[in-house]
Amino acid sequence: MSVLAIGLLYGGATIAVMMIGVPIAFALGLVAIIFMMFFMPSASLDTVTQNVYEEMASITLLSIPLFILKGAAIGRSRAGQDLYSALHVWMHRIPGGLGIANVFACALFAAMAGSSPATCSAIGSAGIPEMRKRGYSGGFAAGIIAAGGTLGILLPPSITMILYAVASEQSLGRLFLAGIGPGMLLVTLFALYAMFRYRLEHRRASAAFDLGGEKSELLREDNLTMRDRFAALPRVLPFVILLTGVMIALYGGFATPSETAGLGAVLAFALIAIIYRVWTWGELEPILVATLRESTMLMMIIGMSLLYSYVMSYLHISQSAAAWIVSLHLSKWILLAMILLMVIVLGFFLPPVSIILMTAPIILPPLRAAGFDLIWFGIAMTIVMEMGLIHPPVGLNIFVIKNIAPDISLSEIIWGTLPFVILMAIAVVILAVAPEIATWFPNLVMSKGR
Amino acid sequence: MTVGLGVEAAIEKEPAAPSNPLVAALDRSLAALNRIIVVFSSVALVAASLILSYSVVIRYALKASTYWQDEASVFLIVAAVFLSSASVQARRGHVGIEAVVGLLSERTNRIRRVLVDVASFFFCAFFAWKSWTLLHEAWVDGQVSGSTWAPPLWIPYSLMTIGMALLSIQIFLQIAGALLPAGYRK
Repeated sequence: MSVLAIGLLYGGATIAVMMIGVPIAFALGLVAIIFMMFFMPSASLDTVTQNVYEEMASITLLSIPLFILKGAAIGRSRAGQDLYSALHVWMHRIPGGLGIANVFACALFAAMAGSSPATCSAIGSAGIPEMRKRGYSGGFAAGIIAAGGTLGILLPPSITMILYAVASEQSLGRLFLAGIGPGMLLVTLFALYAMFRYRLEHRRASAAFDLGGEKSELLREDNLTMRDRFAALPRVLPFVILLTGVMIALYGGFATPSETAGLGAVLAFALIAIIYRVWTWGELEPILVATLRESTMLMMIIGMSLLYSYVMSYLHISQSAAAWIVSLHLSKWILLAMILLMVIVLGFFLPPVSIILMTAPIILPPLRAAGFDLIWFGIAMTIVMEMGLIHPPVGLNIFVIKNIAPDISLSEIIWGTLPFVILMAIAVVILAVAPEIATWFPNLVMSKGR
Repeated sequence: MTVGLGVEAAIEKEPAAPSNPLVAALDRSLAALNRIIVVFSSVALVAASLILSYSVVIRYALKASTYWQDEASVFLIVAAVFLSSASVQARRGHVGIEAVVGLLSERTNRIRRVLVDVASFFFCAFFAWKSWTLLHEAWVDGQVSGSTWAPPLWIPYSLMTIGMALLSIQIFLQIAGALLPAGYRK
C-alpha cells in the first residue's frame, strides 16, 4: 500500500473511532496499535508500552500535573475573588473600569493558575454577578470572563506551551517568555474593547434615563477613597510574590521549569494555608482529587498522542505529508494561514494538547522551511487555540460560564464572546506584522543560543 | 488547561450503580480500592512537589549535586497518573467527542456506548498485557534506568501494569453492568 493510502486510512480510522465517542486517549492508542499490527513488524507491538513509557518519563512532561496542582490550590481558594476586588478598587474610575479590572484579574490569575477553565470559574464567580449588578449586559460580562480565561494557555506557565516545547524541541523557558508580550497585547485589546463597549452601554442607559426610563445601575458612581485602595493591597501581595518568586527562580537560573512546577505547588499550598487557613484534609482533598482527575485524563491523552505520532512517523505518514506541503511551494503567508485554519477546525473537536502532539510532526517542518521562527509560531498557534476555547461547538470556557451563571442564555454568551474571537484574530495578524512582540522579550532575557 | 481541558469544569457525574448484584459488588470493591489509590496518588503528587523544591534548595543553599530528584519525581507522578486512571474512568472522566450523541436515538446510543467501552477495553487490556510482559522482562533481566542513580525499571513498569489492569477491569465492569440482566440473583 502506498504511503498516501495508509495515511488516508490512518486519518479516516482516527476520525471514525473518535466520532463514535471513544475517549480521545483510548481512540488514539487503539488506532495506533491496530496500524502497528497490520503495517509494522510484529516486534514493534511488543515494545509499545516501553515506547509510551520512555516518551512520557520526561520530567518536563510530568511536571504538568504539578502545574495543575498549583492552579487547583489557588483556584479553589478565595484568591480569585480577592484579586478581583482589589483590582476593582484601583480601576473603578476608568470608564468600564469594572470590566477592565476583570480582564486584568483574569490575566494575573491565569498566570498563577495556568488553566483557562480554572481562571474562568475563579474570577467569573465573583466578577460576573458584580458586573451584572452594576448594569453590564449578561453577554458582555460573560465575554470578558470567557476571553480573559483563555489567557491561561498563553501566559506562563502554560501547559499547552510545555507540550509545544516538547513537540517542537524548542526551549521552554524561551516559549514561556515569548507568551508575555502577546499576552499583554491581548489584555490591552480586551481592555480597550471593554471600555468601548461600556461607553456604548452607558450611553444607551443614560439615553433611556433621559427619556424618563429607569435609572440603570450603570449610571451610579462609586466613591472609593485612597484608604480603600491601600487596604485592598495586602490581599493581592502574597500572590504577586508567588508569581514573581516563581519567575525569578526560573529565569534567574535557580530552577528548571519542572522544579519551578514543584516549587510553585509547594508555595501555593503554603500561601493558602497561611492566608486562607486551608490546611485540613477535608479542605485539601477536593483540590487533590480535582488535580488527579484532570492530570490523569490529560497525561493519558498525552501519552497516547505520543504513541500515535510515533506510528505516524514510523509509517512515514508525517514525513510524506510534510514533504507534500513543502512541495506545494505556497507563499509563506498562505502556508501560515492554511495551517492556522486547520488548527481552528481541529479546535472544533480536539483539546489543544492533542492538536499540538498530533500535528506538530506534519506542520512544523514546512513552517521551518518557509523561514518561520518556531517560537513565534508556537505563540500564534496558541492564540488560535485560545479562540477554540471560546467559540462553539466545544468552547470549553462557554460551558464553564454557563455553569457559574446559569441565567445567562447560551446564545447570549456566544454573542458576547464573538467580539473577543475577532480581537484574537486581530492579535494574530498584529503578531504576524510585528513578530518582535513575542520574540523581543525572550531575546532580551536569555542569550540567543540558549 | 489549561489546562487545556479542565475536568473540573465538566459536570461531575456520580456513576450509577450497576443493577446486576454480582457486578455491583465487584464495582463496590473496586471503588473502595480506588479511594485508597486516590489518597496514595495525592500523597505522591505532593511528595513529587516537595522533592523538586528540595532539589532547588540543596543545589543553591548547600551546593550539593542533584541526581535522583528528577527521576524519583517521575516515578511518583507516573504512579499517580496510571494508578488513578481507573477512578477517572469510573466517573467517565476520560473525555471523548460526544458530537453524535444528540443525533442518535436512545436505543442506538445505548449500543454506541457499549461499542465505545468494548473498543476502550480492547485497547486498555492490550496495553496492560504488554506492560506486564515489559515488567516481567525488566524483573528477570534486572534492568535499571540509564541514569547515574540507576533505579530498577520494574518500579515504574509495575505501576503502569497495575494501573492499566485496574483500568481494564473498570471498563469491563462497566460493560458487564450495561449488558447483564438486572434480574439475576444468586
